[in-house]
Amino acid sequence: MSIIEVKNLAKKYPLPDDSSKTFYAVAGISFSIEAGEIYGILGPNGAGKTTTLEMLEGLIDIDEGSAFIDGIDVGSNPFEVKEIIGVQLQSNEYFDNLSLIELLTLFATLYDRSIDAINLLEKVQLVEKAQAKPANLSGGQKQRFSIACALANNPKVLFLDEPTTGLDPQAKRNLWDLVLQLNSNGMTVVLTTHNMEEAESLCQRIAIMDHGNVVAEDTPQNLILTHAPEPPMAPLHGNIEDVFLALTGHGLRD
Amino acid sequence: MPTKTQLHLAKVFLKIFLRDRQSIFFSLFFPVIFMSVFSFANNGSQDPITIGVVDNSSNTLSQGFIESLNANPVFDVSLDNETALRSRLIEGDMTLVLILPDEFVEQAGGTELNLIVDAAQVQQLGLIVPLLEQTLISIEREFRNIEPMFSLAIEDVEARSQRYLDFLLPGLLAFTLMQLSIAGSGFNIEEYRRKGILKRLFVTPIKPKDFITSIVIARLVICLIQMSVLMAIAVFFLEVSIVGNFISLYLLIILGTVIFLCLGFCLGSIAKTQQAVMAVGNIVIFPQIFLSGVFYPIESMPALIQPIARVLPLSFIATGLREIANSGATLLEIIPSLIGIAVWFVIGFLLATRLFVWKEVAN
Repeated sequence: MSIIEVKNLAKKYPLPDDSSKTFYAVAGISFSIEAGEIYGILGPNGAGKTTTLEMLEGLIDIDEGSAFIDGIDVGSNPFEVKEIIGVQLQSNEYFDNLSLIELLTLFATLYDRSIDAINLLEKVQLVEKAQAKPANLSGGQKQRFSIACALANNPKVLFLDEPTTGLDPQAKRNLWDLVLQLNSNGMTVVLTTHNMEEAESLCQRIAIMDHGNVVAEDTPQNLILTHAPEPPMAPLHGNIEDVFLALTGHGLRD
Repeated sequence: MPTKTQLHLAKVFLKIFLRDRQSIFFSLFFPVIFMSVFSFANNGSQDPITIGVVDNSSNTLSQGFIESLNANPVFDVSLDNETALRSRLIEGDMTLVLILPDEFVEQAGGTELNLIVDAAQVQQLGLIVPLLEQTLISIEREFRNIEPMFSLAIEDVEARSQRYLDFLLPGLLAFTLMQLSIAGSGFNIEEYRRKGILKRLFVTPIKPKDFITSIVIARLVICLIQMSVLMAIAVFFLEVSIVGNFISLYLLIILGTVIFLCLGFCLGSIAKTQQAVMAVGNIVIFPQIFLSGVFYPIESMPALIQPIARVLPLSFIATGLREIANSGATLLEIIPSLIGIAVWFVIGFLLATRLFVWKEVAN
């Protein structure tokens, strides 16, 4: 059963140097994401990944097409959608002077819920930092904390925008484990990434975007089968002497 | 009634403010230092006001008059001819020159005394002229030997005679309130937007209304506490007198806070960058500091500027607070200020709701 249905979704902006013309940041894309999937959106910078996510999250208006999350129309009921999604944005700054516990409690309150903040911090291995301020966390800890914030409403769908950009290999692997663990409990995860290894090892299906369009969408395995270049020809062995010998025979002369 | 979410968010904003020791310190530091300086300046033997007197009649009455003037510790009198005194006035040696006419006698129409002042000293003048008039009246009474019947009335005038600090406190309250409110809405919103915090909040189901309500609640609490602290310091340590009703004072403080919060929201919506917020913020704040009668009365300003000065939002609030604190005016008596405040409230509210586009602000 698909939990996200996107049809002909588009976002257009006036051109910066000629506002009478518009360009499409997202040019009418369609895809559907199954419940319980980890779905990756790949693409170079400016391909429209973040814009697509922000439309799904109700952050920016949908100009054309439609998007449904768990049967709710994002365009007409953004606030209902926000109740059931968790979002990690690319920038993850928070109010100064609040501890992790206080921030998590705040986020839960924004959903009109109460949560066990310590339990949530345990999930992302930050219990010992409960009283710390986000400004004092390392890059990996910050990312894990922003995922903890995104989990404050126990969402059905988790959106992660480039979650591992700028992390060291250890922190990256650690975050993958976290995502896999959340997914194994049934959470649908949609993530954007530049990291091919991440897409290949983490995502069950991948959409590759370029210039606002989805140019390919499938499982990593199938994408490799269809689009990877032919394996190179076996390299030639031997040298010109072998050729000479092959043409003139091995028998001794004289 | 505020919802649970709004109250929680308001509590968070309060907590953030309370943990920001620096901004608490500075929001109190300036007004307290300012008042203290003036209190020390006023507490010592006050510098006498140097006035020059030109005695054109030289009769017993005028000499007696000058003697009484000399006896008053407020004035330092020097006698000379008009030309000499004029040049000393221009040099700044003298605050003003009083010219007694040729015919300085008791007469039915009253005697007109000419007062020459230096326009550059205009701000002091607003404070001095009433003092001078008061002294003239008491001298006159002494001269005419008016009986103690009047001394009661004179006592009354004395009891209400203002120290500069009494005048200053309501102005400083209004000024501090403006700073706190504009910082609370305009500057903070810009910061939250720049850091992406607004965007993060907007992917939760929080409504713009909740966000704004909680900022307003938090800032009202902050302003009421800061104003109370300032008034307490002024009354208990600096012996400033507040004669009016505190409920009326607090009502004005609340209204003022709401007006400047609205203007702050406009600011945060119009100005998209940190530099722009600072620049536009200064355009809003600076003229009001100097024109709104915070430090000296609007009456002492050039006549051309007065009409503009009077309609600034800070003027209405400072004037209203001053009338209550200094003269014990009731709300009914300050209706002109209240009308001004109401008009600014409507303008601020309409502008803020018109300009504050949540999605733009969040992005």
